[in-house]
Amino acid sequence: MSGVSPFFANDVFRTRDVVIFVKSKTIPVMIDTSMQTGGWPGGQGVTWLDDPNNDTFQVTYSDGRFGGFLLWGSNEASDQYIAYYKNQPTYRFAVMAVGPWVISTTTFEQYTYASRTGGGPLVPNVYTPGEKLRFSLRGYFTPEDEWTLSGDPRAPNEIFVARVIQPPVPTINNNYLELQSMM
Amino acid sequence: MPFPPPTGTFKIDFGGIDLIRSRDCVVFVKGETFEVSVDPAMLASGWPGGQGVRWVNSSTDNFTVTYSDGRFGGYLIWGSLESADQYTAMTGQQLVYGNAVMVAGRGLISTSSYERYTYASRLGGPPFVPLVYTASTPLFFSLRGLWTIEDELSLSGSPLAPALQAGVVAQVPKDVNEFFLGVQTTL
Repeated sequence: MSGVSPFFANDVFRTRDVVIFVKSKTIPVMIDTSMQTGGWPGGQGVTWLDDPNNDTFQVTYSDGRFGGFLLWGSNEASDQYIAYYKNQPTYRFAVMAVGPWVISTTTFEQYTYASRTGGGPLVPNVYTPGEKLRFSLRGYFTPEDEWTLSGDPRAPNEIFVARVIQPPVPTINNNYLELQSMM
Repeated sequence: MPFPPPTGTFKIDFGGIDLIRSRDCVVFVKGETFEVSVDPAMLASGWPGGQGVRWVNSSTDNFTVTYSDGRFGGYLIWGSLESADQYTAMTGQQLVYGNAVMVAGRGLISTSSYERYTYASRLGGPPFVPLVYTASTPLFFSLRGLWTIEDELSLSGSPLAPALQAGVVAQVPKDVNEFFLGVQTTL
């Protein structure tokens, strides 16, 4: 016995879309009707949306802009057969995370923007430790600047929302992306 | 009623919150707070709640702030002489003791301390051109420390440019929120 803690054998059960290692700030928000009907995964990036007739802090899917990310998905497998089942879309609320979190999530772009939109074979995104991440055009964590790649007039997207801690590896982290959020 | 209820038929009525905005800065999610000393300029002229401030050197061993000139330190949560403080123990308290409470870090506020008009039109005189706030737009401190969507350090040709982004528009000023600006603070 060497006395060294075997951290590598932690066996974290990743049963949710977002697994939290270090917590930061949370903001309860209202979701818009498109999110209520379309649903979302845990870790979904969101951006503020204004409703002129309502004094409510409301969000919708991020298009590359920042507001935060939603901690819990609208209908995760872990919420089935419990009181939390579809609670968020029914009551039109969610919990938005901001600040420096350390999380492990499945909500990231698996494939490059070009291969997802080009119709050819899907090309995996390469995640590198320390690399800065943005939100994609649908609000997933990605290393690519999809505003530039899509010819969006707002390009370049310099809204960096996180850094890669550990890339997704099936044998180590069940293909989850581990990251530190920044904004 | 079937479960889940049909979309739009059953929800928390956030619209009926009826928040009374009786202060310059209404806090929804709190950031980190610091007790700071304010410099003579601020003591002489006062400030509104939500005023942006920056650090300034002091001859004493006190952490001291003054009006922001576009640079970031934080914002003051309470004004020096707000109407809600009249006839209470807080009346003039900060000015008398030379202290204030500064907030930094992530939070969510609603404030009346923001620039109404563009920097160019304020500088050039009437007519004043209203700033158009839209959700999710970056926010900075203006040259007098109010929240604005313009980078006034760059617009004024300051060598301190560009300004640091201090927040994001979470809610635009409108009739139903008494024309307060919703700010997600990010620094």
